[in-house]
Amino acid sequence: MRRVILAVTGTVAGLVALLTFKTHTGEPSEAALSPAPAQAGTGSTTTTVLPAGERAVTGNVANTVYGPVQVQLAVKANKIVKVSILEQPSSTEHDLQIGQFAFPKLIAETLSAQSARIDSVSGATYTSGGYIKSLQSALDNGV
Amino acid sequence: MNNSTPVAGISARVRHAEHVMGTVVSFDVPVFARHEGILQAAVRWLHWVDRVFSPYRPDSDVSLLARAEVTVDACAPEVAEVIAACAFLSDSSGGYFTASPGGQFDPSGFVKGWAVERASQLLSAAGSADHLVNGGGDVQCAGGRAPGEGWRVGIVNPFHAGQLALVVAGRDFAVATSGTAERGLHIVDPVSGRPATGLASLTVAGPSLTFADAYATAAFAMGDALAREWTESLEGYEAFAITDDGATWQTSGFSRYIAVD
Amino acid sequence: MASAVRPGALLAIIGAGAAAVLVLWWHSTLAISGLGGWLTGAGEVLGLLSGYGVVVLVLLMARVTPIERGVGADRLARWHAMGGRYVISLITAHALLIIWGYAVSAQTGLLHETDALLTTYPDVMMATVAWFLLLVVGITSARAARKRLRYETWYYLHLYTYLAIALAFSHQFADGAAFVSDLAARFWWSALYLVAAALVLWYRVVVPLRAVVRHGFRVAGIRQEAPRTVSIYVKGRRLRELQAEPGQFFRWRFLARGMWWQSHPYSLSAVPSDDLMRITVREVGDDSNMLRSLRPGIRVIAEGPFGAFTPGRTGRSVLLLAGGVGIAPLRAMFAALTGKITLIYRASSWQDIVFRPELDAIAEAKNATVHYVVGTRTDLGVDPLSASALRQLAPGLHRMDVYLCGPPGMTGTAVAALTEAGVPRRRIHYESFEF
Repeated sequence: MRRVILAVTGTVAGLVALLTFKTHTGEPSEAALSPAPAQAGTGSTTTTVLPAGERAVTGNVANTVYGPVQVQLAVKANKIVKVSILEQPSSTEHDLQIGQFAFPKLIAETLSAQSARIDSVSGATYTSGGYIKSLQSALDNGV
Repeated sequence: MNNSTPVAGISARVRHAEHVMGTVVSFDVPVFARHEGILQAAVRWLHWVDRVFSPYRPDSDVSLLARAEVTVDACAPEVAEVIAACAFLSDSSGGYFTASPGGQFDPSGFVKGWAVERASQLLSAAGSADHLVNGGGDVQCAGGRAPGEGWRVGIVNPFHAGQLALVVAGRDFAVATSGTAERGLHIVDPVSGRPATGLASLTVAGPSLTFADAYATAAFAMGDALAREWTESLEGYEAFAITDDGATWQTSGFSRYIAVD
Repeated sequence: MASAVRPGALLAIIGAGAAAVLVLWWHSTLAISGLGGWLTGAGEVLGLLSGYGVVVLVLLMARVTPIERGVGADRLARWHAMGGRYVISLITAHALLIIWGYAVSAQTGLLHETDALLTTYPDVMMATVAWFLLLVVGITSARAARKRLRYETWYYLHLYTYLAIALAFSHQFADGAAFVSDLAARFWWSALYLVAAALVLWYRVVVPLRAVVRHGFRVAGIRQEAPRTVSIYVKGRRLRELQAEPGQFFRWRFLARGMWWQSHPYSLSAVPSDDLMRITVREVGDDSNMLRSLRPGIRVIAEGPFGAFTPGRTGRSVLLLAGGVGIAPLRAMFAALTGKITLIYRASSWQDIVFRPELDAIAEAKNATVHYVVGTRTDLGVDPLSASALRQLAPGLHRMDVYLCGPPGMTGTAVAALTEAGVPRRRIHYESFEF
């Protein structure tokens, strides 16, 4: 019986740790590609076509309800593999990761606005950086 | 190998977000599209468009053309096609749609919607009858998300991040919205040279995203009064607008797109 | 001596594999958010671990020679049983979490989502059948169930695990986020399964057949040693090449009617010569008539030798402690060992004592001591194998190497008594089976 308890608690603890770390994301990465006005990332515009290697996409500083945010995404093989916040709202008391707490809040607002059940969102064009805080991004992440 | 027919049930679908052309293109496609490389083909198309048309890449056809380092003949044939379409649109919008904002050749306003619509056509040709592609806020749908249903697209509330102003729904349609909701992207009235006034957001819905996108951009640049008149005159395309002070207006046929809950 | 994989090393390898699987999941996952994301993420992790776990379970029982030598068949069987329970739980949790997670993300009900998964996702139906098969295998392998089942039935049911693994394989690639768009991941995962399959085929099919051809095992004769104990003599060619050591066992498959599908682990009860081996078996249940029906000339497939229960060469005095038919391997050791040996042979009645003449002869030749401790507990009144009793029977016990073989209950109490008598754990060697 003791072994069973150990196995169960060990597995659950491991899962929680893994998933928590996955929602808290990592470090910035290499060459910038998109029209980011002279931001971070190391210069050279690579023309490597996906899926080989990672590339960084840096957004403009975007105004969010929490203050100015600048986000850098690392994209590999069509997928966002890392999101890093380069500039964060200084007034926020919350955790760094916009994605983590903003989405539930935003979705709640959406639902209360109209119980929408939408498939997609149309709005003024967002850049890659602005995308992160967008409703479309929440939809894409399957929330 | 795959035994599933494209059943458009909610759970047989996959979402994918691709960073390209300076924005994010979101796909909602059936599972088999991702599995069989169909999605990848559409994504490759978008990246090709980026390489050829991006004004931020010094070696793209568009940049070379802008610097007059090549002629149109030496570019990809799609470039000529784009230039011709822009000319037509510029004509029919009285100059409010332009491929050379501020005198510099940059058809990005047209290219995004056009590329997304083409991506949707690629998906359809490869067997995906029901899908949705959203390029940075401009949406092209095919079919519906389930048999008998359409696709539901929310329109962002320009005054309140995270809220919707309206939900539109339909089958085989496109929605494009112009506005100033994101800092740093201003639609400039090409005639007066100053930022357009009067409108916070303008949405155009119709069968083709290429046109919906271009019409929305042009109409927004016209400002409140002119836009209302011009969009009413468009055949097959309807518009919905939110003004600076929070009021809304729409063209007479737009109600058929409004979602009935 | 051939290579052997130590238990610690094997566990480390298994752990490293699991870590690699987790890395695979990490690399293939986007940032997670929301309840649906968490549930699905957990389901995916458990799914990957399950796919890896079944391979480990199969390999534990694949009779891979270096592993059998280093870890020991009894320990491998225990690990397989524990691991089997764990992996089946993982699979069940995986299935439930995926259903739930997908349902939350798609904002639909559980039943609807289950239906959608079964009918529209590729190969999920097969994987679900596989899941149920494994549940049946798991349930029927529980001790309570096995008591009620004929060994034959249990064995055939257990074979269905191979079918289950085959059925579930394709849904990993068709639906698993880690594999769907990652060719390298699919390649390495397939390689893992192929290598496991190759090892199973090699060690469970090719090696035994090769041994049959090379050594030509046949039953030479049967001898009744005691009312319920028989010795089976198996003859062959070039048996020295097998390098069987006293205390080791073989898995015997007698190609006689009704017995060919069963493989029995029986220890050698004598040091083998170049053309003859002897095993001594206590008849239990259905076996009895079968064993007695073995006629000379019947072919035998003998796999082995297996077992880590062999005497080392430490130079210390040795205590051999046998319970019931546990005398078989210890009889072989008794004959092979040198130095000061004490043998304690415990049985419930004199009728159950076997090899008495041999044991006495060996004892006299080596100047070793044999104690026959006979009688049930109730007859004797005291525990004849208590710590104090053992100290009396084997003076200087705490300095000896002790080899112990008997029924599980007896080995358990004996180990406790030996420890109490001052024998360090590392000098107590025993083998116990739960077959």
